[in-house]
Amino acid sequence: MDLRVPSGSFFSLLGLILLGMGIFAPDTRAAFTTANVNLYCGVCMLAFGLFLLLLAWRASRSNS
Amino acid sequence: MTLAAVDYVILALYFAFVLGIGWKLRKGVSSSGDFLLSGRAVPVWITSLAFIAANLGAQELIGMAASGAKYGIMTAHFYWLGAIPAMLFMGIFMMPFYYGSRARSVPEYLKLRFDEKTRAFNAFTFAVMTIFSSGISMYALGLLLKLVLGWNFTTSVLCSAAIVLAYTFLGGLTSAIYNEVLQFLLIVLGFAPLAIMAVLKAGGWQGIVQRLPQNMTHAWRYMASASENPMHVELFGMVAGLGFVLSFGYWCTNFLVVQRAMAADSMSAARRTPLIGTLPKMMLPFIVIVPGLAAVALSQMDLGYSLPLKAGGVKDYDQVLTTLMAKFYPAGMLGVGLTGLMASFMSGMAGNVTAFNTVWTYDIYQSYIRPGAPDRHYLTVGRVTTIVGVLLSIGAAYVATRYNNIMDLLQLVFGCVNAPLFATFLLGMFWKRTTAHGAFAGLTCGTAAAVLTLSLTVAEGKGGWFGTLYEFRSQMAQNFWIAIIAFGTCFLVTALITLITTPRPDNEMVGLVYGLTKVPHDHTAKWYQRPAPLTVIVVIMLLILNIWFR
Repeated sequence: MDLRVPSGSFFSLLGLILLGMGIFAPDTRAAFTTANVNLYCGVCMLAFGLFLLLLAWRASRSNS
Repeated sequence: MTLAAVDYVILALYFAFVLGIGWKLRKGVSSSGDFLLSGRAVPVWITSLAFIAANLGAQELIGMAASGAKYGIMTAHFYWLGAIPAMLFMGIFMMPFYYGSRARSVPEYLKLRFDEKTRAFNAFTFAVMTIFSSGISMYALGLLLKLVLGWNFTTSVLCSAAIVLAYTFLGGLTSAIYNEVLQFLLIVLGFAPLAIMAVLKAGGWQGIVQRLPQNMTHAWRYMASASENPMHVELFGMVAGLGFVLSFGYWCTNFLVVQRAMAADSMSAARRTPLIGTLPKMMLPFIVIVPGLAAVALSQMDLGYSLPLKAGGVKDYDQVLTTLMAKFYPAGMLGVGLTGLMASFMSGMAGNVTAFNTVWTYDIYQSYIRPGAPDRHYLTVGRVTTIVGVLLSIGAAYVATRYNNIMDLLQLVFGCVNAPLFATFLLGMFWKRTTAHGAFAGLTCGTAAAVLTLSLTVAEGKGGWFGTLYEFRSQMAQNFWIAIIAFGTCFLVTALITLITTPRPDNEMVGLVYGLTKVPHDHTAKWYQRPAPLTVIVVIMLLILNIWFR
C-alpha cells in the first residue's frame, strides 16, 4: 500500500469539509481572530492532500 | 470549549481512516516478523517521520507548550541541544551495528554483544518503561478531554485505547508506523495555524520579546548560573545531563524509536532514517513550544486572555495549548486541532505498545518462557501481547493520576533506565574489550545509582525518601543530575569490571563492535542521500537556530 493514497485522501476530504465551512458558514469565527480560518486552512489542506495524491499517481504510473 | 457537529464529523473521519489503514494492512501479516518487525520493508520517508512521530505523544505536545509557557525558549534545548545531535550520532555511528547485527530488538543486540543476563535486565526494565510511557500518554489525554470538553475520563481513555488496539492488532508494526506518519502530518497541519496566529496576535516574535522577561526569550544567555534562568539548571547540568546523557540515551538506545529505523528496507535507509528525521524535528519547536510563549505574551495584553489556573490559583500550564485553541479556532478547525491531539496520543501509545510487543514476544517469551515454538505461535503471542499491553497501559494511566507533572515523571523514568544504558552501549559498541560481566555490573549499578540519587535528594518537594543530602533548585535539575550520575556510575563500573574479566575473542564480535564491522558504502546513493553531506547540512541549520535564539 502506498501511504500517500490514504493520507492524500484524508487531507483532501478534511480540506473539503473546512472549505465548505469557510464558504457556507463564513461567520464561524473564533474570539481572537477576524480571519476566515476555516477557509484558509481548508485551502491549504486540500492542496496538500491533492499534492500527495499527485505524487502517488505519478509513482504508480512509473511503476506500471 | 464546546464542539459543533462538524468537529465530530472530522474526528469520526480520522478514526475511520486510522482503522481503514489497519484493515488494509492486515493482509500483509503472515509471520511474527511481519507483525513485530514490519518485515524490514518500509520506505525511508515513512520510517523517518515515524521515528519522530512515535516520540510525539500527547505528553510531548501538551508538555512542550506547557514548558514553553513556564520556561520560555529554553525548552527548545530538548530539541536543538538534545534530540538533534543524538539523532545524528545514532544515524552515523550506531545504526550500522543495530542493523548490521540483524538483531530484532535493542535487548537482542545486548545479548549478541554481551550475554543473556544483560538482555534480560534491559528487556524487563524496558517493558516496564513502555507501559508507563503509554499509560502516562493516556492519562494526559483523558485528563485534558475531561477538563476541556467535560468528557468522562474513563470513557475517553477506553475509547481511544480501543482504537489503538484495533489497528495495531490488525496490522502490527507496519500499521502503527503508517498511522504514525498520518498522525504526524495531522499534528503539524493542525497546530501550525495555531502557532502562526498566536504569534501574529502577540505582535510577532518582537512582540513576544518585548512582553516576556529577558530570560524566557533567550536560550543560552542566562545559562551561566542556575538562579538566573527559569529552569534553574546550570550550564553543565544542561549540556551534560540533557544534551548528552538523557538525549543520547533516549534517541540511541530506546527501542521505541530504534525499532522504527530497524524497519527500514536497507542499511543505507536505516542510517538515513534518524538523519532525515532531524529536519522536521528541528522545526517542531516552532509548532509545539512557541505557542506557549505566545500565550504568556497574550495574557499580558488587554485581550481578556489569562493563563489557565488550577483550583487554588496555581497556573495550569498543561492547559495552555487547549485554551489557545479555543481562542483561535472556530468550529471546524477546532475539530482538526482536537483530532491532532488525539492523533498525538495515539502515535505515542501505539509506539510504546508495538515496542513492548516485540520485546515481550522475542526477548522475554521466546527466550525464557517458550523457546523453539513454530513462528505461527509467536505471531499469536504477539497479537495477544498487544491486548495485554493496552490493558497494562490503562492500569498505568490510573497510577499516573497520582503525579501532577507528567513530563517530569517521564524524564525521571528515562533517567533511571536510559541514562545508564547509553554508557553500556557506548562502551560496548566502541571498545571491543568491554565484557559481559562489566556491562551487567555497570548497568545494575547505574540504575541503582539513579534510584539512590532520587532517594537522597529533594527538588520541589519530590524525592528524598531516605533523607536529604542535597536540594536541587528544580526538578529539571534533579532529573539531569540523576542522569549524569547514573551514566557516570555505569561507565566507571563497566570499565573497571571489564579490566579484571576476560574479553571475548574478536571473531565472535564481527558486526557488533566498531573496528570489527565493515560499514557498507552505498554506491548507488546520490550525494544528498549519504550520511556525511546530510549531517553537515543539519549541523549548519542547528548552529543557525542556536545562535539566532541565543
